[in-house]
Amino acid sequence: MTKLVRKVRVVNPQGLHTRPATAIVKLLCNCKSDVRFQLKKDVVNAKSILSLLMLAAAKNSVITVTIDGEDAEDMMAKVVHAFQTGFGE
Amino acid sequence: MKNQSAELYLQGTPICRGIAIGNLIVLHRQEQHISEQSLPIEKVDAEIRRFRQAISKGKDEIHALKQRLQKDRIVEGVAILDSHLQIMDDPMITTDVEERIRALQKNAEFVFKSVVTECQKQFELLPDPYFRERFKDIEEIGRRISHHLIFTHKTPLHQLPPDSIVLATDLNVFDTAEIDKTLACAFITQHGSAASHAAIVAKGKGIPYVSGINLEQVQSPHGGAVIVDGRTGQIIVNPTEDTLKKYKEMKEGLHDHYRTLTNRGGLQSETFDGYRVQLSANIDLLREVEGLNQFRGHGIGLLRTESAFASGAPLPSEEEQYALYSKFVDKLGSLPIVFRTFDIGGDKQFRHAQQVAESNPFLGYRAIRLMLREREFFKAQLRAILRTSHQGNIRILFPMISSVAELLEAKEILEEVKAELRSQQIPLAPHIPVGCMVEVPSAAMTADLLAKECDFLSIGTNDLVQYTLAVDRTHTFLNHLYTPAHPAVVRLIRYVVSEANRAHVPVCICGEIAADPRYTPLLLGLGIQELSIAPRHLPTIKNAIRKTSIVGATRLAEAVLKLSSAAEIEQFLTNEYQRLAPEDGLYNH
Repeated sequence: MTKLVRKVRVVNPQGLHTRPATAIVKLLCNCKSDVRFQLKKDVVNAKSILSLLMLAAAKNSVITVTIDGEDAEDMMAKVVHAFQTGFGE
Repeated sequence: MKNQSAELYLQGTPICRGIAIGNLIVLHRQEQHISEQSLPIEKVDAEIRRFRQAISKGKDEIHALKQRLQKDRIVEGVAILDSHLQIMDDPMITTDVEERIRALQKNAEFVFKSVVTECQKQFELLPDPYFRERFKDIEEIGRRISHHLIFTHKTPLHQLPPDSIVLATDLNVFDTAEIDKTLACAFITQHGSAASHAAIVAKGKGIPYVSGINLEQVQSPHGGAVIVDGRTGQIIVNPTEDTLKKYKEMKEGLHDHYRTLTNRGGLQSETFDGYRVQLSANIDLLREVEGLNQFRGHGIGLLRTESAFASGAPLPSEEEQYALYSKFVDKLGSLPIVFRTFDIGGDKQFRHAQQVAESNPFLGYRAIRLMLREREFFKAQLRAILRTSHQGNIRILFPMISSVAELLEAKEILEEVKAELRSQQIPLAPHIPVGCMVEVPSAAMTADLLAKECDFLSIGTNDLVQYTLAVDRTHTFLNHLYTPAHPAVVRLIRYVVSEANRAHVPVCICGEIAADPRYTPLLLGLGIQELSIAPRHLPTIKNAIRKTSIVGATRLAEAVLKLSSAAEIEQFLTNEYQRLAPEDGLYNH
């Protein structure tokens, strides 16, 4: 079991809105690990689109991604890549 | 609270034959108040299953909607629906609600509603207005799921989830026309009768339909399947496993039988002793022509020109009509098309120039009566039809003729329009046959006179039965009186056919009676040579024709004419059909 923690920045102009949130949930749908996003004090389950939207992460906010589980490394790489490329927007 | 698990049989009036198994969707009802109910512990699992079903129905709906948008390439919409699908899978919606139903032992709609409300509060606290707005998506989804939980539905009929049994106080012809057969598997209504136009459309599409059901009785909230038996008029709510199995097998059996018949589509429609019958199709919409081709119909025996245009809309212009009629002519090639001029008024209304309040619309201002008065509009339709004449094999039919004078007046206008078109060098076919509908007793009794003035007769039995028996065909309480098996109707048909045959004028039957295989031998025995029916009935009726001998049919008709009541005639015909086609489970059960 691996537990990884990384910080990522939201580059999308409208922040982590519906489309990026949808992309994250899709990305994680076969993920076996537990994935948490933290923004300031709020920690949410990244597999819940509603929770992601409730983070209300604006552009340039910094999110702490915590992935805990067997496919943590693979998933972390994918999540970081998705954030860096602005979820293809 | 009623016992929700007991199997419940309800008896209604069978309108359209067939068996359906599906889930109830209530049409046009006000949103119900959500009440809080406590559940006994043993019902909790069932409640959770019901909740999951509601979610899965909601997802099915969105998937269907998404496909439509994808087809129309509405990319933005597809993205939104994708996020809706994910919200429906969100653990905050799924797991949380389920856990709470279990912990609180409360009904699903109540728990779900409280979860959505909490969610709303959290979103309202967000400082960013963009994210606050996202709550609207959840609200929309919440509404969709709630509808499945409390059985109310406001989505249009073409967006139904698959296997929907549509429950409504009443259905109009446009409701039924809009319905997608692949989604709606049955209709249940409180009002409505076998011969209403809505029922005819349902029959044309082959959607089982039962009316005369007290809607309150089928509305108790539960999640399971409901069975509709359109042959007997039975509705089974909360069926047991055994009942479900039995009906599934029967449904399969009917399906197999129909498939066997459709596979014989290439065979001739002739009796086994070689009497050839012209088998044509009644058509409302362009897309139905496919069915006609598939089952090798001999042409369009009745094109209901008014059906393709929306109700309540302004009257269609000549060009709009021409554009549509040309498409029909293109598709049919050399096969004949009978254009029936607009049959509006009665239960089919348009926003026409002059509308009058009528206490008795079926005896009032409709069909040819309306067209003869709205002369410019009538001429526009005739022009639109005539302009297609040189490209195909077209015929013109006037509806609701009640006297020779009316027929002559309509023909005179037709000649006027032809002359106008010729003077404008618009090409016309050299001979365009003109026909007269026989659907009023006064027309039937003067069939000999009408036959002299036209090229063909077409018996519309639906109205003929209504006018002969003085029974409003849309009246729920009079269903038992409305029957084409009444001796008066049989005698009228015999009279019309023999007069037409004497005058060497072909006569066609285009009413519902033509689509009921139990009547096929009788009609052939009375001397009918052409039947026009909804395309999907072509295989069944062709089968009935091929199993009949013309000699036997003549004898059968003689026997029927000696019977004195509708009930006797109906029983006699049913028994005969049972002998003829015992394998047809749709009529023999």
